[in-house]
Amino acid sequence: MFEEPFRWMEAISTRHSYVREKLKKGQPVLGVPYNEGALLMGFAPQAGKVFEVYDRIAMGALGHPADVERLRMSLLDMAHLEGFNRSAQDVTIARLLQFGIAPALKQNFEEVMRAPYLAQLLLVEITPKNEALFYRLNYDGFWETFKKGCVIAGDPRAMASIEKEIDNTPFATYSLEEALDAACGLWARGLLAAAEEAASDNGEKKEDAPPALKEAFERWPLEAAVLCHKTERPSLYRPLTAGEIDALKNRVAGA
Amino acid sequence: MISSDAPPPGDFFDLLKRSGYRFASPLPLAQADHRPKMPEATTVLAFHFRGGVIVAGDRRATAGNSIMYDRCDKVIPIDRYSLMAIAGVPATAFEMARILSHNFEYYRRSQMQRMSTEGKIRALSKLLKENVGMALQGVGAVSPIFATFDLATGKPSISFYDLLGAEFKVLTHTATGSGSPMIRGILEHENLWGAKALEQRSEDEAATLALRLLATAAQFDSATGGARPEDNLFPVLAVITENGYRFLGDDEIAALYKTSITRG
Repeated sequence: MFEEPFRWMEAISTRHSYVREKLKKGQPVLGVPYNEGALLMGFAPQAGKVFEVYDRIAMGALGHPADVERLRMSLLDMAHLEGFNRSAQDVTIARLLQFGIAPALKQNFEEVMRAPYLAQLLLVEITPKNEALFYRLNYDGFWETFKKGCVIAGDPRAMASIEKEIDNTPFATYSLEEALDAACGLWARGLLAAAEEAASDNGEKKEDAPPALKEAFERWPLEAAVLCHKTERPSLYRPLTAGEIDALKNRVAGA
Repeated sequence: MISSDAPPPGDFFDLLKRSGYRFASPLPLAQADHRPKMPEATTVLAFHFRGGVIVAGDRRATAGNSIMYDRCDKVIPIDRYSLMAIAGVPATAFEMARILSHNFEYYRRSQMQRMSTEGKIRALSKLLKENVGMALQGVGAVSPIFATFDLATGKPSISFYDLLGAEFKVLTHTATGSGSPMIRGILEHENLWGAKALEQRSEDEAATLALRLLATAAQFDSATGGARPEDNLFPVLAVITENGYRFLGDDEIAALYKTSITRG
Protein backbone atom coordinates (compact mmCIF):
# COMPACT_ATOMS: atom_id res chain seq x y z
CA MET A 1 0.00 0.00 0.00
CA PHE A 2 2.75 2.45 0.95
CA GLU A 3 5.00 1.97 -2.08
CA GLU A 4 2.45 3.79 -4.25
CA PRO A 5 1.43 7.34 -3.18
CA PHE A 6 -1.95 7.04 -4.87
CA ARG A 7 -2.91 4.03 -2.80
CA TRP A 8 -2.03 5.88 0.40
CA MET A 9 -4.17 8.85 -0.67
CA GLU A 10 -6.95 6.49 -1.56
CA ALA A 11 -6.71 4.88 1.87
CA ILE A 12 -6.89 8.30 3.54
CA SER A 13 -9.87 9.23 1.43
CA THR A 14 -11.58 6.00 2.37
CA ARG A 15 -10.90 6.72 6.04
CA HIS A 16 -12.53 10.15 5.68
CA SER A 17 -15.60 8.56 4.15
CA TYR A 18 -15.67 5.86 6.81
CA VAL A 19 -15.41 8.31 9.72
CA ARG A 20 -17.98 10.71 8.24
CA GLU A 21 -20.39 7.87 7.74
CA LYS A 22 -19.89 6.76 11.34
CA LEU A 23 -20.41 10.28 12.67
CA LYS A 24 -23.42 10.98 10.45
CA LYS A 25 -26.01 10.41 13.13
CA GLY A 26 -24.20 12.46 15.76
CA GLN A 27 -26.60 14.97 17.29
CA PRO A 28 -25.47 18.62 17.14
CA VAL A 29 -23.77 20.29 20.07
CA LEU A 30 -23.85 24.08 20.14
CA GLY A 31 -21.47 26.42 21.91
CA VAL A 32 -22.52 30.06 22.06
CA PRO A 33 -21.58 33.11 24.11
CA TYR A 34 -23.99 34.87 26.44
CA ASN A 35 -23.66 37.99 28.56
CA GLU A 36 -21.94 36.21 31.47
CA GLY A 37 -19.82 33.63 29.63
CA ALA A 38 -20.54 30.73 27.32
CA LEU A 39 -23.22 28.07 26.98
CA LEU A 40 -22.81 24.52 25.70
CA MET A 41 -25.87 22.42 24.89
CA GLY A 42 -26.93 19.28 23.09
CA PHE A 43 -29.52 16.53 23.28
CA ALA A 44 -27.92 13.27 24.26
CA PRO A 45 -29.40 9.86 23.52
CA GLN A 46 -26.82 8.70 26.08
CA ALA A 47 -24.92 10.79 28.58
CA GLY A 48 -21.68 12.22 27.25
CA LYS A 49 -22.18 15.43 25.31
CA VAL A 50 -20.88 18.17 27.58
CA PHE A 51 -17.93 18.04 29.98
CA GLU A 52 -15.75 20.23 32.16
CA VAL A 53 -12.06 20.18 31.21
CA TYR A 54 -10.38 22.78 33.40
CA ASP A 55 -11.14 25.94 35.38
CA ARG A 56 -12.12 28.00 32.33
CA ILE A 57 -12.44 25.30 29.67
CA ALA A 58 -15.32 23.00 28.73
CA MET A 59 -16.01 20.69 25.82
CA GLY A 60 -18.85 19.23 23.85
CA ALA A 61 -18.49 16.04 21.85
CA LEU A 62 -20.11 13.68 19.43
CA GLY A 63 -18.99 10.31 18.15
CA HIS A 64 -18.09 6.97 19.63
CA PRO A 65 -18.24 7.22 23.43
CA ALA A 66 -14.97 5.30 23.87
CA ASP A 67 -13.10 7.66 21.55
CA VAL A 68 -14.69 10.73 23.11
CA GLU A 69 -13.60 9.42 26.49
CA ARG A 70 -10.00 8.87 25.37
CA LEU A 71 -9.79 12.40 23.97
CA ARG A 72 -11.46 13.84 27.07
CA MET A 73 -8.99 12.09 29.38
CA SER A 74 -6.04 13.26 27.25
CA LEU A 75 -7.26 16.84 27.53
CA LEU A 76 -7.84 16.47 31.28
CA ASP A 77 -4.37 14.99 31.86
CA MET A 78 -2.63 17.67 29.80
CA ALA A 79 -4.61 20.52 31.33
CA HIS A 80 -4.08 19.43 34.94
CA LEU A 81 -0.38 18.67 34.54
CA GLU A 82 0.17 22.04 32.87
CA GLY A 83 -1.93 23.82 35.49
CA PHE A 84 0.03 22.17 38.28
CA ASN A 85 3.51 22.52 36.81
CA ARG A 86 2.99 26.08 35.65
CA SER A 87 -0.23 27.93 36.34
CA ALA A 88 -3.93 27.75 35.59
CA GLN A 89 -3.35 30.82 33.39
CA ASP A 90 -1.07 28.75 31.15
CA VAL A 91 -3.82 26.26 30.39
CA THR A 92 -5.41 27.40 27.14
CA ILE A 93 -7.23 25.49 24.46
CA ALA A 94 -4.88 26.82 21.79
CA ARG A 95 -1.90 25.27 23.59
CA LEU A 96 -3.72 22.03 24.37
CA LEU A 97 -4.66 21.66 20.71
CA GLN A 98 -1.58 22.98 18.98
CA PHE A 99 1.02 21.23 21.10
CA GLY A 100 -0.96 18.26 22.32
CA ILE A 101 -4.04 16.72 20.91
CA ALA A 102 -4.23 17.98 17.31
CA PRO A 103 -0.84 16.59 16.15
CA ALA A 104 -1.60 13.29 17.87
CA LEU A 105 -5.00 13.07 16.17
CA LYS A 106 -3.50 13.88 12.77
CA GLN A 107 -0.81 11.27 13.17
CA ASN A 108 -3.35 8.70 14.30
CA PHE A 109 -5.60 9.47 11.35
CA GLU A 110 -2.83 9.17 8.79
CA GLU A 111 -1.47 5.92 10.15
CA VAL A 112 -3.86 3.91 8.07
CA MET A 113 -3.25 0.64 9.87
CA ARG A 114 -4.61 2.08 13.13
CA ALA A 115 -8.25 2.64 13.93
CA PRO A 116 -9.19 6.31 13.51
CA TYR A 117 -10.87 8.30 16.26
CA LEU A 118 -14.61 8.51 15.63
CA ALA A 119 -15.18 11.83 17.35
CA GLN A 120 -15.58 15.53 16.85
CA LEU A 121 -15.07 18.03 19.66
CA LEU A 122 -16.23 21.53 20.41
CA LEU A 123 -14.11 23.35 22.97
CA VAL A 124 -14.88 26.62 24.69
CA GLU A 125 -12.68 28.79 26.84
CA ILE A 126 -13.25 31.98 28.81
CA THR A 127 -10.18 34.18 28.46
CA PRO A 128 -8.74 36.25 31.34
CA LYS A 129 -10.62 39.21 29.78
CA ASN A 130 -13.82 37.16 30.11
CA GLU A 131 -14.28 36.72 26.37
CA ALA A 132 -15.55 33.40 25.06
CA LEU A 133 -13.45 31.57 22.45
CA PHE A 134 -14.72 28.54 20.58
CA TYR A 135 -12.78 25.78 18.83
CA ARG A 136 -13.92 22.91 16.64
CA LEU A 137 -11.61 19.89 16.49
CA ASN A 138 -12.07 17.34 13.75
CA TYR A 139 -11.27 13.62 13.91
CA ASP A 140 -8.18 14.22 11.73
CA GLY A 141 -6.64 16.85 13.98
CA PHE A 142 -7.81 19.84 11.96
CA TRP A 143 -9.13 22.62 14.16
CA GLU A 144 -10.77 26.00 13.67
CA THR A 145 -11.46 28.94 15.98
CA PHE A 146 -14.66 30.96 16.31
CA LYS A 147 -15.64 34.04 18.30
CA LYS A 148 -19.41 34.12 17.81
CA GLY A 149 -19.93 30.49 18.74
CA CYS A 150 -19.80 27.23 16.84
CA VAL A 151 -21.44 23.88 16.36
CA ILE A 152 -20.48 20.27 15.75
CA ALA A 153 -22.88 17.89 14.07
CA GLY A 154 -22.68 14.58 12.28
CA ASP A 155 -24.69 15.93 9.37
CA PRO A 156 -22.62 18.57 7.53
CA ARG A 157 -25.81 20.20 6.22
CA ALA A 158 -27.14 20.70 9.75
CA MET A 159 -23.76 22.00 10.85
CA ALA A 160 -23.59 24.55 8.03
CA SER A 161 -27.15 25.71 8.63
CA ILE A 162 -26.71 26.15 12.40
CA GLU A 163 -23.33 27.80 11.97
CA LYS A 164 -24.80 30.36 9.58
CA GLU A 165 -27.52 31.21 12.08
CA ILE A 166 -25.08 31.45 14.96
CA ASP A 167 -23.12 34.04 12.99
CA ASN A 168 -26.30 36.09 12.55
CA THR A 169 -27.50 35.91 16.16
CA PRO A 170 -26.22 38.40 18.78
CA PHE A 171 -25.74 35.70 21.42
CA ALA A 172 -23.14 37.69 23.36
CA THR A 173 -25.83 40.22 24.33
CA TYR A 174 -28.32 37.58 25.50
CA SER A 175 -29.07 36.51 29.03
CA LEU A 176 -28.61 32.82 29.80
CA GLU A 177 -32.32 32.15 29.39
CA GLU A 178 -32.43 33.96 26.03
CA ALA A 179 -29.28 32.21 24.82
CA LEU A 180 -30.67 28.82 25.85
CA ASP A 181 -33.97 29.43 24.07
CA ALA A 182 -32.22 30.68 20.95
CA ALA A 183 -29.70 27.80 20.92
CA CYS A 184 -32.49 25.23 21.21
CA GLY A 185 -34.32 26.95 18.38
CA LEU A 186 -31.21 26.80 16.19
CA TRP A 187 -30.75 23.14 17.06
CA ALA A 188 -34.24 22.28 15.84
CA ARG A 189 -34.23 24.56 12.79
CA GLY A 190 -30.79 23.33 11.74
CA LEU A 191 -31.89 19.71 11.70
CA LEU A 192 -35.07 20.60 9.85
CA ALA A 193 -33.20 22.63 7.22
CA ALA A 194 -30.73 19.77 6.72
CA ALA A 195 -33.57 17.27 6.28
CA GLU A 196 -35.31 19.51 3.75
CA GLU A 197 -32.09 20.08 1.85
CA ALA A 198 -31.37 16.37 1.75
CA ALA A 199 -34.87 15.63 0.51
CA SER A 200 -34.58 18.31 -2.14
CA ASP A 201 -31.18 16.99 -3.30
CA ASN A 202 -32.54 13.47 -3.58
CA GLY A 203 -35.79 14.63 -5.14
CA GLU A 204 -37.80 12.62 -2.70
CA LYS A 205 -39.80 13.15 0.43
CA LYS A 206 -37.83 12.83 3.62
CA GLU A 207 -39.46 10.06 5.61
CA ASP A 208 -37.19 10.09 8.63
CA ALA A 209 -37.99 13.66 9.68
CA PRO A 210 -35.85 15.20 12.43
CA PRO A 211 -37.47 15.57 15.83
CA ALA A 212 -39.07 18.86 16.68
CA LEU A 213 -37.92 20.48 19.90
CA LYS A 214 -40.86 19.24 21.99
CA GLU A 215 -40.31 15.73 20.75
CA ALA A 216 -36.58 15.96 21.38
CA PHE A 217 -37.29 16.81 25.02
CA GLU A 218 -39.54 13.77 25.29
CA ARG A 219 -36.99 11.43 23.71
CA TRP A 220 -33.66 12.58 25.10
CA PRO A 221 -32.23 14.40 28.08
CA LEU A 222 -30.80 17.83 27.37
CA GLU A 223 -27.20 18.24 28.49
CA ALA A 224 -26.27 21.85 29.02
CA ALA A 225 -23.65 23.71 31.02
CA VAL A 226 -22.19 27.17 31.24
CA LEU A 227 -18.80 28.69 31.84
CA CYS A 228 -19.94 31.69 33.87
CA HIS A 229 -17.37 34.34 34.75
CA LYS A 230 -19.66 35.93 37.35
CA THR A 231 -18.20 33.84 40.17
CA GLU A 232 -15.47 34.24 42.75
CA ARG A 233 -14.37 30.64 42.34
CA PRO A 234 -11.59 29.48 39.99
CA SER A 235 -13.81 26.93 38.26
CA LEU A 236 -16.35 28.61 35.98
CA TYR A 237 -18.15 25.44 34.88
CA ARG A 238 -21.71 24.85 36.04
CA PRO A 239 -24.15 22.30 34.63
CA LEU A 240 -27.63 23.71 34.23
CA THR A 241 -29.88 22.70 37.09
CA ALA A 242 -32.92 20.48 36.69
CA GLY A 243 -35.01 23.57 37.50
CA GLU A 244 -33.45 25.59 34.68
CA ILE A 245 -34.02 22.75 32.20
CA ASP A 246 -37.60 22.22 33.38
CA ALA A 247 -38.29 25.93 32.92
CA LEU A 248 -36.92 25.66 29.37
CA LYS A 249 -39.12 22.63 28.70
CA ASN A 250 -42.14 24.59 29.90
CA ARG A 251 -41.28 27.50 27.63
CA VAL A 252 -40.92 25.11 24.68
CA ALA A 253 -44.19 23.38 25.54
CA GLY A 254 -45.97 26.73 25.79
CA ALA A 255 -44.53 28.06 22.53
CA MET B 1 -11.18 -0.69 34.57
CA ILE B 2 -10.40 -0.77 38.28
CA SER B 3 -7.94 -3.59 38.91
CA SER B 4 -5.30 -4.33 41.50
CA ASP B 5 -2.33 -3.58 39.24
CA ALA B 6 -3.76 -0.45 37.61
CA PRO B 7 -3.34 3.04 39.09
CA PRO B 8 -6.45 4.29 40.87
CA PRO B 9 -8.70 6.06 38.36
CA GLY B 10 -8.85 9.82 38.73
CA ASP B 11 -5.73 9.99 40.91
CA PHE B 12 -3.85 13.15 39.98
CA PHE B 13 -0.94 12.37 42.31
CA ASP B 14 -0.37 9.13 40.43
CA LEU B 15 -0.54 11.01 37.12
CA LEU B 16 2.02 13.48 38.45
CA LYS B 17 4.41 10.73 39.49
CA ARG B 18 4.08 9.04 36.10
CA SER B 19 5.01 12.37 34.48
CA GLY B 20 8.32 12.30 36.37
CA TYR B 21 7.39 14.47 39.34
CA ARG B 22 8.94 13.77 42.76
CA PHE B 23 7.06 15.14 45.71
CA ALA B 24 9.54 14.69 48.56
CA SER B 25 13.29 14.77 48.07
CA PRO B 26 14.95 13.69 51.35
CA LEU B 27 18.51 14.94 51.76
CA PRO B 28 20.51 11.83 52.63
CA LEU B 29 23.53 13.73 53.98
CA ALA B 30 21.65 16.36 55.98
CA GLN B 31 22.61 16.34 59.64
CA ALA B 32 20.71 17.89 62.49
CA ASP B 33 23.43 20.48 63.02
CA HIS B 34 23.33 21.63 59.42
CA ARG B 35 19.61 22.03 59.00
CA PRO B 36 18.85 25.24 57.14
CA LYS B 37 16.44 27.63 58.77
CA MET B 38 13.07 27.16 57.12
CA PRO B 39 10.20 29.61 57.58
CA GLU B 40 7.68 28.01 59.92
CA ALA B 41 5.55 28.49 63.07
CA THR B 42 1.99 29.63 63.08
CA THR B 43 -1.41 29.53 64.71
CA VAL B 44 -4.27 28.09 62.73
CA LEU B 45 -7.55 26.87 64.15
CA ALA B 46 -10.92 25.49 63.14
CA PHE B 47 -14.14 24.86 64.99
CA HIS B 48 -17.76 24.02 64.31
CA PHE B 49 -20.38 26.74 64.59
CA ARG B 50 -24.13 26.72 63.91
CA GLY B 51 -23.94 27.08 60.13
CA GLY B 52 -20.77 25.14 59.39
CA VAL B 53 -17.11 25.43 60.31
CA ILE B 54 -14.80 28.40 60.65
CA VAL B 55 -11.12 28.17 59.74
CA ALA B 56 -8.70 30.92 60.71
CA GLY B 57 -5.00 31.62 60.70
CA ASP B 58 -2.44 34.31 61.41
CA ARG B 59 -0.27 35.70 58.60
CA ARG B 60 3.31 35.47 59.94
CA ALA B 61 6.08 33.25 58.53
CA THR B 62 9.27 33.01 60.58
CA ALA B 63 12.70 31.42 60.33
CA GLY B 64 14.19 31.07 63.78
CA ASN B 65 13.92 34.49 65.36
CA SER B 66 13.44 36.29 62.05
CA ILE B 67 10.08 37.36 60.70
CA MET B 68 10.27 36.44 57.04
CA TYR B 69 6.84 37.52 55.82
CA ASP B 70 3.74 39.09 57.33
CA ARG B 71 1.10 38.43 54.70
CA CYS B 72 1.23 34.68 54.41
CA ASP B 73 -2.10 33.04 53.56
CA LYS B 74 -2.26 29.91 55.66
CA VAL B 75 -5.87 29.03 54.92
CA ILE B 76 -5.89 27.68 51.39
CA PRO B 77 -8.88 26.76 49.21
CA ILE B 78 -8.65 23.18 47.96
CA ASP B 79 -11.97 22.80 46.23
CA ARG B 80 -15.33 24.49 46.44
CA TYR B 81 -16.14 22.84 49.78
CA SER B 82 -12.70 22.32 51.31
CA LEU B 83 -10.02 24.40 52.99
CA MET B 84 -6.64 23.42 54.34
CA ALA B 85 -5.02 25.40 57.15
CA ILE B 86 -1.28 24.95 57.29
CA ALA B 87 1.28 25.00 60.06
CA GLY B 88 4.87 24.02 59.45
CA VAL B 89 7.20 24.48 56.51
CA PRO B 90 5.40 26.61 53.91
CA ALA B 91 7.20 25.16 50.90
CA THR B 92 5.95 21.67 51.67
CA ALA B 93 2.55 22.84 52.87
CA PHE B 94 1.86 24.95 49.77
CA GLU B 95 2.97 22.06 47.56
CA MET B 96 0.62 19.70 49.41
CA ALA B 97 -2.22 22.17 48.97
CA ARG B 98 -1.56 22.48 45.23
CA ILE B 99 -1.43 18.72 44.80
CA LEU B 100 -4.62 18.25 46.82
CA SER B 101 -6.44 20.96 44.91
CA HIS B 102 -5.53 19.42 41.57
CA ASN B 103 -6.23 15.96 42.95
CA PHE B 104 -9.80 16.76 43.99
CA GLU B 105 -10.60 18.72 40.84
CA TYR B 106 -9.02 16.12 38.57
CA TYR B 107 -11.00 13.40 40.30
CA ARG B 108 -14.26 15.36 40.04
CA ARG B 109 -13.74 16.19 36.37
CA SER B 110 -12.46 12.80 35.26
CA GLN B 111 -14.79 10.61 37.31
CA MET B 112 -17.71 13.04 36.98
CA GLN B 113 -18.48 12.86 40.67
CA ARG B 114 -17.02 14.50 43.75
CA MET B 115 -14.53 12.60 45.86
CA SER B 116 -16.04 11.42 49.12
CA THR B 117 -15.15 13.30 52.28
CA GLU B 118 -13.35 10.23 53.59
CA GLY B 119 -11.37 10.05 50.32
CA LYS B 120 -10.40 13.71 50.63
CA ILE B 121 -9.26 13.30 54.24
CA ARG B 122 -7.20 10.24 53.28
CA ALA B 123 -5.64 12.01 50.28
CA LEU B 124 -3.95 14.49 52.62
CA SER B 125 -2.91 11.64 54.90
CA LYS B 126 -1.18 9.96 51.93
CA LEU B 127 0.77 13.14 51.16
CA LEU B 128 1.92 13.42 54.76
CA LYS B 129 3.10 9.82 54.69
CA GLU B 130 5.06 10.55 51.48
CA ASN B 131 6.68 13.41 53.37
CA VAL B 132 7.80 11.50 56.47
CA GLY B 133 11.46 11.46 55.37
CA MET B 134 11.57 15.23 55.00
CA ALA B 135 9.63 15.75 58.21
CA LEU B 136 12.04 13.59 60.22
CA GLN B 137 15.01 15.48 58.76
CA GLY B 138 13.50 18.64 60.15
CA VAL B 139 13.14 20.46 56.84
CA GLY B 140 9.62 19.65 55.71
CA ALA B 141 7.32 19.02 58.66
CA VAL B 142 3.72 20.05 58.11
CA SER B 143 0.86 19.84 60.59
CA PRO B 144 -2.33 20.73 58.73
CA ILE B 145 -6.01 21.05 59.48
CA PHE B 146 -8.42 19.93 56.78
CA ALA B 147 -12.00 21.21 56.83
CA THR B 148 -14.71 20.39 54.34
CA PHE B 149 -18.46 20.11 53.94
CA ASP B 150 -19.72 16.59 53.41
CA LEU B 151 -22.47 16.87 50.80
CA ALA B 152 -23.51 13.25 51.35
CA THR B 153 -24.35 13.75 55.02
CA GLY B 154 -25.05 17.48 54.88
CA LYS B 155 -22.55 18.08 57.68
CA PRO B 156 -19.23 19.89 57.92
CA SER B 157 -16.10 18.01 58.90
CA ILE B 158 -12.79 18.99 60.53
CA SER B 159 -9.72 16.76 60.70
CA PHE B 160 -6.20 17.30 61.94
CA TYR B 161 -3.12 15.16 61.32
CA ASP B 162 0.15 14.25 62.91
CA LEU B 163 3.43 14.46 61.01
CA LEU B 164 3.25 10.80 60.01
CA GLY B 165 -0.14 11.15 58.40
CA ALA B 166 -2.50 9.85 61.08
CA GLU B 167 -5.87 11.57 60.70
CA PHE B 168 -8.09 12.65 63.58
CA LYS B 169 -11.63 13.85 63.01
CA VAL B 170 -12.81 16.39 65.56
CA LEU B 171 -16.38 17.14 66.52
CA THR B 172 -15.75 20.48 68.17
CA HIS B 173 -12.47 22.32 67.65
CA THR B 174 -8.78 22.00 66.88
CA ALA B 175 -5.73 24.21 66.57
CA THR B 176 -2.20 23.64 65.41
CA GLY B 177 1.10 25.50 65.11
CA SER B 178 3.40 27.00 67.72
CA GLY B 179 0.69 29.29 69.10
CA SER B 180 -1.93 26.58 69.42
CA PRO B 181 -1.14 25.50 73.00
CA MET B 182 -2.08 29.02 74.14
CA ILE B 183 -5.56 28.78 72.68
CA ARG B 184 -6.59 25.14 72.84
CA GLY B 185 -7.50 25.54 76.49
CA ILE B 186 -9.54 28.65 75.71
CA LEU B 187 -11.42 26.82 72.97
CA GLU B 188 -12.22 23.97 75.32
CA HIS B 189 -13.28 26.39 78.05
CA GLU B 190 -15.49 28.35 75.66
CA ASN B 191 -17.07 25.17 74.38
CA LEU B 192 -17.80 23.75 77.83
CA TRP B 193 -18.51 26.81 79.91
CA GLY B 194 -18.85 29.78 77.54
CA ALA B 195 -22.16 31.56 76.98
CA LYS B 196 -22.93 29.00 74.26
CA ALA B 197 -21.30 25.81 73.05
CA LEU B 198 -19.21 26.48 69.92
CA GLU B 199 -21.57 24.65 67.60
CA GLN B 200 -24.46 26.83 68.76
CA ARG B 201 -22.76 30.10 67.89
CA SER B 202 -23.62 32.25 64.89
CA GLU B 203 -21.11 33.06 62.16
CA ASP B 204 -20.48 36.51 63.68
CA GLU B 205 -19.93 35.05 67.12
CA ALA B 206 -17.63 32.40 65.68
CA ALA B 207 -15.62 34.99 63.75
CA THR B 208 -15.32 37.18 66.83
CA LEU B 209 -14.00 34.28 68.88
CA ALA B 210 -11.55 33.29 66.14
CA LEU B 211 -10.15 36.84 66.00
CA ARG B 212 -9.77 36.94 69.77
CA LEU B 213 -8.08 33.56 69.85
CA LEU B 214 -5.54 34.61 67.23
CA ALA B 215 -4.90 37.87 69.08
CA THR B 216 -4.27 35.85 72.25
CA ALA B 217 -1.91 33.49 70.46
CA ALA B 218 0.00 36.47 69.02
CA GLN B 219 0.30 37.88 72.53
CA PHE B 220 2.16 34.83 73.83
CA ASP B 221 3.80 33.29 70.74
CA SER B 222 6.40 35.35 68.89
CA ALA B 223 5.93 33.21 65.78
CA THR B 224 2.25 34.14 65.50
CA GLY B 225 1.58 37.50 63.88
CA GLY B 226 -0.97 39.92 65.28
CA ALA B 227 -3.27 42.17 63.31
CA ARG B 228 -2.05 45.60 62.18
CA PRO B 229 -5.22 47.53 61.33
CA GLU B 230 -3.20 50.63 60.35
CA ASP B 231 -1.63 48.56 57.54
CA ASN B 232 -4.88 46.77 56.72
CA LEU B 233 -3.26 43.53 57.87
CA PHE B 234 -5.62 41.06 59.50
CA PRO B 235 -5.75 37.32 60.10
CA VAL B 236 -7.43 35.13 57.49
CA LEU B 237 -10.94 33.98 58.36
CA ALA B 238 -13.06 31.66 56.24
CA VAL B 239 -16.25 29.72 56.76
CA ILE B 240 -17.48 26.56 55.07
CA THR B 241 -21.21 25.96 54.81
CA GLU B 242 -23.44 23.91 52.55
CA ASN B 243 -22.83 26.60 49.90
CA GLY B 244 -19.06 26.07 49.94
CA TYR B 245 -16.27 28.13 51.40
CA ARG B 246 -16.29 31.89 51.83
CA PHE B 247 -13.40 34.08 52.91
CA LEU B 248 -14.34 37.09 55.00
CA GLY B 249 -13.24 40.24 53.20
CA ASP B 250 -10.77 42.70 54.73
CA ASP B 251 -13.56 45.22 55.28
CA GLU B 252 -15.64 42.65 57.15
CA ILE B 253 -12.73 41.64 59.33
CA ALA B 254 -11.72 45.27 59.93
CA ALA B 255 -15.25 46.05 61.14
CA LEU B 256 -15.29 42.95 63.29
CA TYR B 257 -11.87 43.78 64.66
CA LYS B 258 -13.10 47.17 65.87
CA THR B 259 -15.90 45.61 67.87
CA SER B 260 -14.30 42.39 69.02
CA ILE B 261 -10.76 43.22 70.08
CA THR B 262 -11.15 46.41 72.08
CA ARG B 263 -13.02 46.15 75.38
CA GLY B 264 -16.46 47.69 74.94
